[in-house]
Amino acid sequence: MFDTIRTAYQHRELILSFAVRDIKARYKQTALGVAWSILQPLSMMLVFTLVFSLFAKIPSDGIPYPVFAYSALTFWTFFSNTISGGTMAMTANNALIRKIYFPRETLLLSVLLAGLLDLAIASMLFVGMSLYYKMTLTAAVLWVIPLLALQMILAFGVISVTSAAHVHFRDIGHALPLLIQLWMFATPVAYPISVIPHWLKPLYLLNPMAPIIDGYRRAIILGMRPDLEALAVSALITLTLTVTALAIFKRAERTFADVI
Amino acid sequence: MSDTTIELNNVAKRYWLRRGWYVTSIKDEVGRLTARLLRRQVIPREEFWALKDITFSLKRGEVLGLVGPNGAGKSTLLKILSRVTVPTSGSFVVNGRLGALIEIGAGFHPELTGRENIALNGVILGMSRKEIQSKFDRIVAFAELERFIDTPIKHYSSGMQMRLGFAVAAHTDPDVLLIDEILAVGDASFQAKCANKIAELKEQDKTIILCSHNMSNITDHAKSVLWVDGGRVRMIGETGAVLDAYLEHVTAAVNAEAENAHKEEASAGEGLASIHQVVTLNEAEQPQARFDRGDRVLIDITYSASQPLPGAVFGVSVQDIQGYPLGGVVTDPDSVKITSPVERAVLRLTLDPILFNRGAYTLNVHIAEPTVKRTYDLKRRVARIAVDGPRATDRETSGHVYYPHRWESLR
Repeated sequence: MFDTIRTAYQHRELILSFAVRDIKARYKQTALGVAWSILQPLSMMLVFTLVFSLFAKIPSDGIPYPVFAYSALTFWTFFSNTISGGTMAMTANNALIRKIYFPRETLLLSVLLAGLLDLAIASMLFVGMSLYYKMTLTAAVLWVIPLLALQMILAFGVISVTSAAHVHFRDIGHALPLLIQLWMFATPVAYPISVIPHWLKPLYLLNPMAPIIDGYRRAIILGMRPDLEALAVSALITLTLTVTALAIFKRAERTFADVI
Repeated sequence: MSDTTIELNNVAKRYWLRRGWYVTSIKDEVGRLTARLLRRQVIPREEFWALKDITFSLKRGEVLGLVGPNGAGKSTLLKILSRVTVPTSGSFVVNGRLGALIEIGAGFHPELTGRENIALNGVILGMSRKEIQSKFDRIVAFAELERFIDTPIKHYSSGMQMRLGFAVAAHTDPDVLLIDEILAVGDASFQAKCANKIAELKEQDKTIILCSHNMSNITDHAKSVLWVDGGRVRMIGETGAVLDAYLEHVTAAVNAEAENAHKEEASAGEGLASIHQVVTLNEAEQPQARFDRGDRVLIDITYSASQPLPGAVFGVSVQDIQGYPLGGVVTDPDSVKITSPVERAVLRLTLDPILFNRGAYTLNVHIAEPTVKRTYDLKRRVARIAVDGPRATDRETSGHVYYPHRWESLR
C-alpha cells in the first residue's frame, strides 16, 4: 500500500499524462465533447425521476426528487465509469504493456484522475439545480472530501482485481455492465436508505458504497454528517479489500506481458 | 561505479503452450480445476522454454550484437532486460537508466497530435515533462515533422510515425540501450540517421544491445556478438568469429532448404529447357565450394532442351546470404545457340578472378528468352560458394565486392 503511494508519487507525471491522453482522446471527433460528462448523469436523473418518482412514487426523504437523484448519480456515475474504465485499463493498453515497462498501477490511477474531471463538470449542473431549488450549503459539505477519498480507494481496490482478471478472462468485460447495474440497485441511488427493511439493514450496509452515497446526500442536501458508524464499517471493508486487491494485482502484474 | 552494466545469470523463460499461449476462458480453467479435484487427468499443457541458461555480462560502453533465427529468443531476452516480462528463473542486473528501441511508437495514440504524442511517449519512456520540453525542438527536428506536429498522428504515414517514435526514444538519454531490428525499417535516409545516432550513443559510452538480421549493421557497430538459437547461447565472442560461424550455419540451412525445394518443384520455368546440375570448380577442374578471394572459379552448368530455342540466353546471378542480389551475368544471345534439341550439354562460366569479399554466396541460374520474357528454367540457390579472405571487421575491406585497386601518393 505504501509502496503504491510512493510509486504514484514518483510517477505522478506519467499518471497525469495517461489521464490527459484519455480525456483528450475520449472527446476527439465528438460533437458534444465534454457535455457528455453532464449528459450521462442528467439523462439517468430524468429517467429515474420519471420511473421512480412519478410512476413508482418512491419517497425521497422530503427532498425534490431530481435533486435527490442527481446528488447520488453524479458520484455513482464517477464510480461506475472508473470501474468500467479501470477494468479495461490493462487490455486497452496492451500494446504498451507488451512492449514498455512502467508501473502498471499508474494506468489504474490515471483512470481515477481522468474521472475526477467528469465529476467536476457534472457537479456544475448540481450547482445550478441547488440555486433553482433555493438550497443552501452548510459546512457539512466538507464531508464530501473524505467520502470521495474513500470511494476512490474502493474503486481502486475493485479495479486492481478486475483489471488483472480481465487480462486472463475477457469474460469479465461481458459480465461487468450487469454487475455494475446490480451494484447500483444495491446502493441508495434511486431510493433513500430509509426504505430498507430494518432486518435487512445490517446486511445492506455491508455494501461499502451504501453509506458513502447516503453520506453525500446528507452532507450536500441535508447539511448533516454521514452515518459514521456505517461509514466506519464501510471504510474497514474498503481498506481490507483494497490492500488484498493490490497484493493480487502486484502478483498478477508479473505475467501481464505474457498473457495479455 | 561498477563497470559492469548488464549481468545475466542462468536466465530462463518458460511459456505454456496450450490452445494458444495462455488460458483462454474461464471454462478451460474450471475444467482443469474440476479435473484436478476429481483426480482425473489434467488437461495436458506443454511447456516451451523460450530461453534457457542465458549467462553473460556487458561492461559500460560495450556494444553487443544479438543474432539468431526467428523464434530463437532474441526478443524474449530484450523483453526480460527491459523488465516487460519476468524470467522464470535466474537473475539479472541492469545498472543505469534503460532505454529500449523495441517497436518504437508503441505508446502512441492515433487521435492525439504529434506534439501531444511526444509529451505522452516521452513520459512513458521515463522522461520528465521538463526534460521533454527542453528537448522538444530537437526531437521534432530529428523526426523532420515540423509541418505536421499539430496533426493527429492517425493521419501520418507509417514512416512518419516511425520517425517520430525513434526520435522520442533516441532522446531519452539512456545508459543502456536495447535496439530491436529497427534499422531494417524505414527508408534509406532514415536508416542512415538511425545508424548515425547509434554511433553517437556509442561514442558517449552507452552500453548497447543491438538485435538485427542485417549483418552489416552488426559488424558496423558491435565488437562482440551473442548468437542465440533455440533459446540457448550458441556462441558468444568477437564479432568476426561469431558471425562467420553463424553465417556458415545459416548457409547450410539455406542450402538444405534449397535442396528440398529443388526436389519438390523441379522447375520454376516452362520446362522447355532444364538445368540439371551446377557445379563450381577450381582451376584444376576439381569440384570445390571454398575459394580465396582472387581465385579463378569455374561454374559448369549442365542443361538439356526438348526443342530448338534460338533466342535463349543463360544467366548466373549471385546473392548474399540474406538473398540480396549482388550482380549477375548473362550470355550474349548469339554466343550459345540452342538450334536443335539438346539431350545433355555443359556450359562453363569462368570468373577470373572472383572478387567477392569474405562471406557465403549463393547462385541462381536460369535459361530464358529475354525478349518475350519467357523463362525456360530457373534454379534458385542451386550452388553455394564460400569465399575466404580478410574479415570485414578487420576494416581492410567492407561490403561484399572487392575492387582491384592501388593507392598512390601524388606530390
